[in-house]
Amino acid sequence: MASFDFLKDPAWRNEVATTAFGKSFWGFAGAAVGFGVLCWLVKGSDDVWAALNEDLSLLVDLMPRVVVALSIAALIWVMMPREKMSALVGSESGMRGLIIATIAGTVTPGGPSSAYALLAAVAVTGADRGALVAYITAWATLGLQRILIWDVPFMGAEFSMLRFAICIPLPIIAGLIARRIPLTLKIKGAES
Amino acid sequence: MSTGLLVLVMLLIVLAVIAVQQRQDAGPIAQRFIEQFAMLVPRMVFALIAAGFIAKLIPKEAIASLLGEDAGLWALPVAVAAGLIVPAGPVIAFAIAAVFAKSGASVPALIAFITSWSIFAAHRILIYELPLLGPTFLRMRILSAMAVPFMAGVIAMIVGLITAFGQPLLTQ
Repeated sequence: MASFDFLKDPAWRNEVATTAFGKSFWGFAGAAVGFGVLCWLVKGSDDVWAALNEDLSLLVDLMPRVVVALSIAALIWVMMPREKMSALVGSESGMRGLIIATIAGTVTPGGPSSAYALLAAVAVTGADRGALVAYITAWATLGLQRILIWDVPFMGAEFSMLRFAICIPLPIIAGLIARRIPLTLKIKGAES
Repeated sequence: MSTGLLVLVMLLIVLAVIAVQQRQDAGPIAQRFIEQFAMLVPRMVFALIAAGFIAKLIPKEAIASLLGEDAGLWALPVAVAAGLIVPAGPVIAFAIAAVFAKSGASVPALIAFITSWSIFAAHRILIYELPLLGPTFLRMRILSAMAVPFMAGVIAMIVGLITAFGQPLLTQ
């Protein structure tokens, strides 16, 4: 099937290998060995084995969650109409504007480069500051891709769901506060 | 199977059925999955091993008295401050959260820590926010969102009075 051609692309394979086993990976591997040696010196071998034992059972517990969470993230990534959602930021005023900005921030995928680029693009058009703050706060605290890729693997699904549920109203509150702060905004690149 | 995993599996099944109905191409989905897996899992394994050793090395009582149930409301400013000063990406931030969790930090403190880091991550501000939006936007955003991690922690405390749902996997 043509759509799996990426598997044969040497550039892509190289990129994935660098992401997986690049400098940052060896940094963490080195830290694990370093703290392991330190633990052995300070606490003795019993604690080292106990720690490794706990890690192993934790990782065995985590792996099914990681696979399920990353599968959901990949499906959402492909199926969600992201551009349509983010185009709505700043298009509405009032409470509706804040709610739309919060939903858009929640579905904006991945890392800060895309989220901040979009925020900057919307900000130069002179969009409502409440919506700008609600959008980026929602991206940071509620971002679905971020929660599925980071929170669920490390903290487990229950904790992540609890944190998500608790944080739902907070970007809207931050947006309401932003509208009441008497500060002048000078967005880079915007004509004032 | 735990409730959380069960909910995730059900969500996955629903999404997969929709994807099949829409005749979504499996290629890009598999590609995205492999890319994210490569980004997360190798580093996560060693980050958690390092976190396990650090948790053995640091005195549990110190963390527990600052961030545990007994610290009460005081745990929140400590957790928020800790989240503010972690100038690093998600693997390090969550490895620190793992150390906190193993050392007896409470759920509200962990939620305040992660929420604070999510909102204020210093490296993100330096690399993206200041160059793209400028200092006046940063100032306004910080003033507006300052209360958010505290609110998250307080709501988590109130929720904790009603239900024990949401314990991190690390402490179970």
